[in-house]
Amino acid sequence: MARLRRITYLTLGFLLLAYLLVFSGCAGSQNRFIKKTSFRGTHSILITFAGPVDEEWATKASNYRVYEKPDPDIVLKISTIELSTNRQTVILHFEEPLNQNQPHMVTMRGIMTEGKSVGTAIVKVRKLYLGYLFSILIGAMLVQNFVFTKYLGLCVFFGTSQKRSTAVGMGVTFTIVIVASAMMSWFLYQFFLKPFHLDFLQIIVFIGLVSLSVQAVDTILRKVNPMLFKAFGVYLVLVIANCIILAVPLILADNEYNAAESLMLALGAGLGFLIALFLMSSVRERLELANVPPTYRGLPIAFVVAGLFALAFLGFSGMSIF
Amino acid sequence: MDPTLIKLAIGGIVLLGCIGLFFGIGLALAAHKFAVKANPKVEAVLEVLAGAQ
Repeated sequence: MARLRRITYLTLGFLLLAYLLVFSGCAGSQNRFIKKTSFRGTHSILITFAGPVDEEWATKASNYRVYEKPDPDIVLKISTIELSTNRQTVILHFEEPLNQNQPHMVTMRGIMTEGKSVGTAIVKVRKLYLGYLFSILIGAMLVQNFVFTKYLGLCVFFGTSQKRSTAVGMGVTFTIVIVASAMMSWFLYQFFLKPFHLDFLQIIVFIGLVSLSVQAVDTILRKVNPMLFKAFGVYLVLVIANCIILAVPLILADNEYNAAESLMLALGAGLGFLIALFLMSSVRERLELANVPPTYRGLPIAFVVAGLFALAFLGFSGMSIF
Repeated sequence: MDPTLIKLAIGGIVLLGCIGLFFGIGLALAAHKFAVKANPKVEAVLEVLAGAQ
């Protein structure tokens, strides 16, 4: 009974989170006459109206004012305006490519429809927020894999990738710990270090938080789930010696990510490390049976393999999903 | 010394001290609550062994 209730609470929590994520990205249309706004290609913004607008109004560039939300002073130059044949959608083409990671504001002065004015509209144009979060996750996992493109966490990577079972155990432990410690460091940075102007102490605080979360997971797991604790074994303590776990909070602090984005980056970093360990251990298990020249046996051939993996992961670079 | 710097330093010491104290007490409580009874004989045997590996 108690278990059922707990599951219900968890489900409700997830639903609330999903709802917040989906709808925090869509709000912002202040005029009922604007139905939809979105980016189109690299240079254009598409605006859909609820009814047909007058051609004379729609094709006049001075009626539009477009800027990136953080810089209201810098007005983006519109090169051409395209009106669809049913006069309901307008495509604004810009001279420069748009930075789609920033939300853009579009001001439309005195929208004219069938000779009547329906007032001024200020609308926000942004990428789908869920897609943005997903791109952070995939980015940290594959495109900018911490092991293969940033060469972080190599000591633990080579130390625990000899057997597939230990590699997966390490990867899973690492993912859990990194999510916990990154969320804590995000919270402390945003609500304690930044308001008190102590951001220069971030490295010390983050190191403390990492060891704290490792210690806490160690203590709690020992009692709550001894089987899992035994499976993790020495790797739990080894997590402290990993540099990815320190790099992620520093990246979060630098980029001023919010809670959801931080969660995605931490999860992506953890899963990326898991993938890297799994791939590497699969190869190294086979290398045991291969006829490797004596000079290359052991760690040297592992470094060569890691370099080949890094080359393969270069194939993901420049990939954008949304 | 610039008084704002001194204020910053004292604020930092107090804040970090508070955070440390908070988490220290939290960890101690967790260790108390999730204490696992270990067999004292295990430790004694380990002590006697050579301990090279």
